[in-house]
Amino acid sequence: MANTTLNDLVSSSETRRPTIRIGRILIYGVLIIGLLQAIFPFFWMISASLMPINEVTLGYLLPTRPQFNNYVDAWNQANFAQFMWNSVRITAITVVGQLLFCVPAAYAFARMKFVGRNLIFGMLVATLMIPDVAILIPNYLTVIWLGRLSDAVLGISWINNWPALTIPFMASAFTIFLLRQFFAQIPEDLWDAVRIDGGGHLRFLWSVVVPLSRAPLMTTLIFAFIGSWNALLWPLLVTQTDAWRPVAVGLTKFVNTDAPTALHLQMAASVIMIIPILIIYFFTQRQFTEGIASTGLKG
Amino acid sequence: MSVFNLSGQRRRIIRENIIAYLFLTPALTLIMTFGILPVAFALFVSLHRWRRFPEEFIGLDNYQRALGDFAYVVFIWIAAGAAAYAGVTLWRFIKQNRGQPARYLYLIPGVAAAGAAALIVNWVVIWLPIVLDIPQRLRAQARSGELFIGELIASFQTPQVVEAGNWMLLGIFAAVILAGLCFWAIKSDRPEKLLTQAASAFFLLIIATFTLQLTVSEVFLAIETAREAGNELPIWTQAAIISAGVIMLGTAYLLWRSANRGGNLRFVLQFAAASMLMVGGYAFVGELPMLLSGSDDDLLRGFNITLMYTLGTVPVQLMFGLLLAYLLFQKIKFQSFFRMVYFLPYVTPFVATSIVFGILFSHRATSPVNQLLTTLGIPVQKWLLEPTGIFKLIFGPQVPDVLSGPSLALVVIIIYSSWTYIGYSTVLFLAGLGNISGELYEAARIDGANEWNVFRRITLPMLSPTTFFLTLITIIGTLQSFTQIWILRTPAASSSVDTVGVYIYETISQSTPNMGYGSALSLVLFTVILIFTLVQNRISRDRVFYG
Repeated sequence: MANTTLNDLVSSSETRRPTIRIGRILIYGVLIIGLLQAIFPFFWMISASLMPINEVTLGYLLPTRPQFNNYVDAWNQANFAQFMWNSVRITAITVVGQLLFCVPAAYAFARMKFVGRNLIFGMLVATLMIPDVAILIPNYLTVIWLGRLSDAVLGISWINNWPALTIPFMASAFTIFLLRQFFAQIPEDLWDAVRIDGGGHLRFLWSVVVPLSRAPLMTTLIFAFIGSWNALLWPLLVTQTDAWRPVAVGLTKFVNTDAPTALHLQMAASVIMIIPILIIYFFTQRQFTEGIASTGLKG
Repeated sequence: MSVFNLSGQRRRIIRENIIAYLFLTPALTLIMTFGILPVAFALFVSLHRWRRFPEEFIGLDNYQRALGDFAYVVFIWIAAGAAAYAGVTLWRFIKQNRGQPARYLYLIPGVAAAGAAALIVNWVVIWLPIVLDIPQRLRAQARSGELFIGELIASFQTPQVVEAGNWMLLGIFAAVILAGLCFWAIKSDRPEKLLTQAASAFFLLIIATFTLQLTVSEVFLAIETAREAGNELPIWTQAAIISAGVIMLGTAYLLWRSANRGGNLRFVLQFAAASMLMVGGYAFVGELPMLLSGSDDDLLRGFNITLMYTLGTVPVQLMFGLLLAYLLFQKIKFQSFFRMVYFLPYVTPFVATSIVFGILFSHRATSPVNQLLTTLGIPVQKWLLEPTGIFKLIFGPQVPDVLSGPSLALVVIIIYSSWTYIGYSTVLFLAGLGNISGELYEAARIDGANEWNVFRRITLPMLSPTTFFLTLITIIGTLQSFTQIWILRTPAASSSVDTVGVYIYETISQSTPNMGYGSALSLVLFTVILIFTLVQNRISRDRVFYG
């Protein structure tokens, strides 16, 4: 082994070349099989969404004549305009709330010294380890109670309304981490400049930090959108009417009530539901992938 | 001048503190309300009869209903654990602060602070039911803000709340005065650390005493009721046997570890560990079914299903994810395109893709999957409508129920979940592979290592942090999964696919919800997840290589 010469290395790599080529073909073969299994359900979903009902039940692979008005039917029957609008509204309110709640908190953690900082930060880390199922019922009870209070005093109920769907998600430990990480990297010189101008923390936050943080704020927006688009368990619990039901609950109800009769419309509705997510995925792929991958946020 | 400067700096520090807390308060309030306190609230709810509204305190009955008499054993363990941890904290207090003068005096404010904390909890526990009951009391008078506020104020003035409140104030006052005295009288480097250690130790002791007292009284009550009905209820002996079994298992683990470190006694230790393992395991496995005999069958079945679901999903998706990531890493053309497509199943909403799988795997003979089976010459299956275990389907009806495995319906859900998670682990493994330094590979190649050895000795160990993270995340995810099962369950097969998460949702979403029982169930699941996380952490400490 020790006296392997350069010549040996070269010749061995030359003799190996054909096997490498076979190996390459194998690799590509496995990768393409992986590709097909990942994509087949989507292919069939789109294909079935264009079929008449009997072709779906007969299990055709492709529609004989694509029926694009399935989408119109699904849109109207599933009341999709309402659900999508609800999801968008929920996202918007959640994001505004997150800006108000998380940005100052993240700023405090990133750039201020105060008593008990490590303790409070440790507490935030602890919340990430509490599984959702452990706090589902108490949060439901809290939301009911607060809803009664706010209904009596302000006339805004919480159940079947935006507060139950947005307020519990306005302060997320995860968003605070994300923003803190970014805020901590903003150069100290900018802070000095603001102080020389006689400004304080609030001014610095508002006129320097926030405008500089467009990228992480965008990520926050995307996450809030994904969250409100996918959420099922919590909205199922706190909504009983269509007025504020997000799109995932709307689709579930549509599928469960229209049971086996309208498979093609179910498929069309599912396609409608995934299109916005796919658009966002294709345009913000890097942020999207990194964000989801690093947090395991989904489910 | 210097005095002036100092006070200016001091003022600035105070100002900074005030601003920081102003910035933090809104977020912290929300996180406390909806993120941390709910765990304590769930415990509170689970100790009550609580359908829609709070009713009376019933102690551990909800847990007894869920786990049978095993619940008592668990609570005794919890009390013992809290007491042991309190002992450890006290020991640390003595050991770590050896240099501090008069450190034992800090035990006095420690006791006071722990007492004050307990009195605060006591006050909250007395006040909370009154407040939570307000909506029910005001049901007749619709939407009256003044009445609601009035009731809220009145709840603070109820005699028992006032009494508990006075005690609480007294406790806080005493704790603050004593702590102040100690801080002032004894010069110490870190008085707050001494105080926290002492206080948390005593608070844990209070919790342990309370838990033990509650559990023991309940056990006596249960034994008494059984005796009146003419039965013997050997809870104590059972608890003793199973606890001894668990202690033996723990000792076996410790012995085994020290045996593997080598030394002359290696075989003796291994033998001792093995016999401990057998005896302890026998005690545990023998006693557990008896203790669980009075438990909720649906819950046990839920745990069984959850376990099969997790075991079916996690290894499969890890293996395929690693395979695809490893292949993708071999300087493949269009790598980012492949990655993007692999990630698609995870990105798209679970609701939509679950519906697709529901139709792909439908019971009709013409459904796509059944057509595939027909061309392969396999009989058509009912898939999501099939509650029979797969081993029974494969090997015929003579297979006993215990060994019948996951139902075919659950297998479909496992396939679905693997399908969604494969892309996720591919992406994470790919990132992990990218972090391995190329020098290691070069060194190995120069040493003449072949492809398999490189993979086995370099890639896998260097990937272990990613593997660890993925395993943890996906197991926790599958333990509490809801969406895909909710969509894919059918009335015909629901009893063979309902995981614990779905069962919890069922108990609180029926027309007669049972919040107390649901809370008890969710805390049981939480405990399982917690134990799992701790064990995983413990194992990974030896196995995971962090570079």
